[in-house]
Amino acid sequence: MRTNDSSGAAPAAWLAIAGLTVIVGVPFIAVVLQGIFPNLGQGSFAGPFSSLVATLFDSALVGMAGNTILLGSCVVLASALVAVPLGVFRALYRIPLAPLWDVLLLVPFMIPPYIATLGWIMTLQPRGYLQQIAGFNLAPFLFSLFGMTMVMAFNTFPVVYFAVSRTVEAVGARYADVGRVFGASPARAFWRITLPLSAPGLVASLMLVFAAAIEEYGTPAALGRRAGFQVLVTGIDLRISDWPIDLPGAAILSILLVVMSLLTFLLQRWILARRSYQTVGGKPAAKDKRPLGAMKVPVMIAFAVVAFLATGVPLLSILFTALSRTISGGLGLDNISAENFLSVFNNSAGALGALLNSFSLGIGTALITGLIGVLAAYTVVKTKIRGRVAIDTMTILPNALPGIVVAVGLILAWNMPWLPATPYNTAFILLLAYCCILLPQPVRYTTAAFQQIGDSLEAAARVFGASGVTAFRRILLPLVFPSLASAMLLVFALASRELVASVVVAPVGMQTIATFIWRQFEQGSIGLGMAMAFIAILITTLLPLLLLTLLRRSGLVAE
Amino acid sequence: MFKSLKSITFGALAVTLMAGVAHADITVYTAGPQGLIDKLSAGFTKETGVKVNVFQATTGKVMARIEAEASNPVVDVLISASWDTATDFAKRGWLVSYTSPNAAQVPDFLKTDTAVAQGISALGIAWNTKSGTPKPAEWTDLTKPEYKDLVNIPDPAQSGSSFELTAALAGQDDFKLFKDLKDNGAIIAGANAEALNPVLQGAKAAVFGAVDYITLNAKEKGEAIDVIFPESGTVIAPRPAMILNWSKNQDEAKKFIDYMLSDEGQKLVADQMLMPARTDIPANRPLISDLKLLKYDTAAVYGKRKETLKQVTDTFGGK
Repeated sequence: MRTNDSSGAAPAAWLAIAGLTVIVGVPFIAVVLQGIFPNLGQGSFAGPFSSLVATLFDSALVGMAGNTILLGSCVVLASALVAVPLGVFRALYRIPLAPLWDVLLLVPFMIPPYIATLGWIMTLQPRGYLQQIAGFNLAPFLFSLFGMTMVMAFNTFPVVYFAVSRTVEAVGARYADVGRVFGASPARAFWRITLPLSAPGLVASLMLVFAAAIEEYGTPAALGRRAGFQVLVTGIDLRISDWPIDLPGAAILSILLVVMSLLTFLLQRWILARRSYQTVGGKPAAKDKRPLGAMKVPVMIAFAVVAFLATGVPLLSILFTALSRTISGGLGLDNISAENFLSVFNNSAGALGALLNSFSLGIGTALITGLIGVLAAYTVVKTKIRGRVAIDTMTILPNALPGIVVAVGLILAWNMPWLPATPYNTAFILLLAYCCILLPQPVRYTTAAFQQIGDSLEAAARVFGASGVTAFRRILLPLVFPSLASAMLLVFALASRELVASVVVAPVGMQTIATFIWRQFEQGSIGLGMAMAFIAILITTLLPLLLLTLLRRSGLVAE
Repeated sequence: MFKSLKSITFGALAVTLMAGVAHADITVYTAGPQGLIDKLSAGFTKETGVKVNVFQATTGKVMARIEAEASNPVVDVLISASWDTATDFAKRGWLVSYTSPNAAQVPDFLKTDTAVAQGISALGIAWNTKSGTPKPAEWTDLTKPEYKDLVNIPDPAQSGSSFELTAALAGQDDFKLFKDLKDNGAIIAGANAEALNPVLQGAKAAVFGAVDYITLNAKEKGEAIDVIFPESGTVIAPRPAMILNWSKNQDEAKKFIDYMLSDEGQKLVADQMLMPARTDIPANRPLISDLKLLKYDTAAVYGKRKETLKQVTDTFGGK
């Protein structure tokens, strides 16, 4: 049995390893080498470890590392508080307008964090939109750890919401009903049965949130600096953009960040390894959801408030800004103008090219990370191949690498003079960067899905004569496809708007959505930048939704 | 058979790669405005047939890229937003000596053997005219009670020009002005654009030491904003253009510098609301001759960069 197993699994494992090595291994090793050999960029191995001491004994380091963990934990906590109750209700009860809430809670994903932050600033600062409408502002509240946590949690909680609603739905009420039959109260059945069985999805999503929070640049840079709150990523950025550039120092801080992320990941493994979470057996799960009853009104209010704060406020702020003739003109009918939107469609400053570039790159990234992700997850969860822990580790590394470090690693690795051909200075380097940064998404999602599929399903297929590949294609893939498809759509959206790596690594003469917006902000054209942001958010939301609807209609994805 | 196939493949690959080189395109890295470099490249290509590849970002991001590329650099011409870069690169021996014939009208202090200014910005007070505060005339005005909690200062650690102003003014009174600003509730607020945006919306009334051309462009667009250059003096930020010594297209790079300093090129600079480097080109904005410049020792200022930044941090508290 064991030998049969690996005959089907070996090609998958090899493909995953090859892909991971190119996409993750190469830039990561370049960064580690840069940390050890400060003059690597000049092609010299002189003075190994000389930067290590200076960086690690910097007195500010403890504060930065502590702030990073504090911020990450706060964001995880806030995301869970917002998302878990909503997700559970969505999974177990009949919620009126459920598809609408799903869409509204999906949008925050599509809003680039730095844009959302700017939207919040323009809304809450003195004389901001809130004050223009309601007569008061909330600036002291915004520029604090509390404000940072709020803005970042509104950005990341959909990860938890969708993971929880999907896994709890998959677990279904069936197991809890068994508990009820044996005398458990509804609350007890939920706490002792449904919630523990949903743990893989919940823990994986919380870990993604933590990793995203400690790696996020835009919000800590815009809000944290005002609050005197410096984290590792802003420290890295300072070392990399303040002349003289300190690449070795940045590399060492990045490795520290990677260590943090790996520890989180090990914690997650430890929690999950203690028991089995298989709930998808051969039997169909009942889809019946319960009516909300008396909880209807409070639950609807909760959905509405969260949707308004997470989606409504940033979107309206972006739209107001994009439609303003001048920022100083404020809200008012006489200050409304479609000029900024017209400029985008007139291809001013290369706006249309930037849209096209980003969407092509987004599609490419989704396809590549989807393929490698599902292979890697399958190898790790469903095979006993040696080295699968190494694969698992490689898929988690990019979570902790800030975009700017991935970019520098890619330049260091791919700009060696002796390489006969290189993707550097072509669009492919952006593809490599995006794949590296976003690979963890499909891996996490499909890993959680694979963990819930009973081994008996694959075994049954093999007993009836299916080859390993056929069993994978006909049994396992369709079962994980909903998770894989949503992960790939998420990757598409995230890749289309990736900022920090794009700014550094974009080939000469090439713009993406994010670099376009960034440049407009830098040059004082906030309105044009916001118009572009609005269009990009609209497209990255509508396109995946359209695709999902088509897939559903063709029966590839179940409701 | 297999071997010949392989050599054909490599041959084809080499030809493709060489094709890129044969055109002798030049690669320009610039920390200047995108609009300006787009127009300069288009004009240059029209005149010479040489294509220009552009990478535009902030000075810091441009430098990070050059540093990471150092073993195999691709940049031919670099336009920085900070004169310090030109000094530092010259010291490292990374620059080509070249004096463009078109540089004759560029004042001596805006050119060296290896670098020449493309244009110049000056620092001033960017003030929201609808803010309900009295129009400031001097740096010290912003320490008055009317501006309590209403002043942004661009971070001198992130903006080279803001650093020079900070160093020059702090050198005069040993940080007294900055302490007064701090006591009046002024804050350090990100790089240049980040400091200006809240002033446009009215959250703050003024930027202490704003880069002028961005503000002038905003004013042109109809924003309620004005730039004031204090009588007591300010600093300018010349933007050096230089040719890197690893460039394989040095002749084309020199032609680009010539074009940038030509009548046409300098007019494009002036259109961007920057001061042209050549004194004989008119511009619709105050020029160097209209400004009083603070006297300070640039070399000494940059020698003490770390200490100055630390003192700023100490004055304005935590970071």
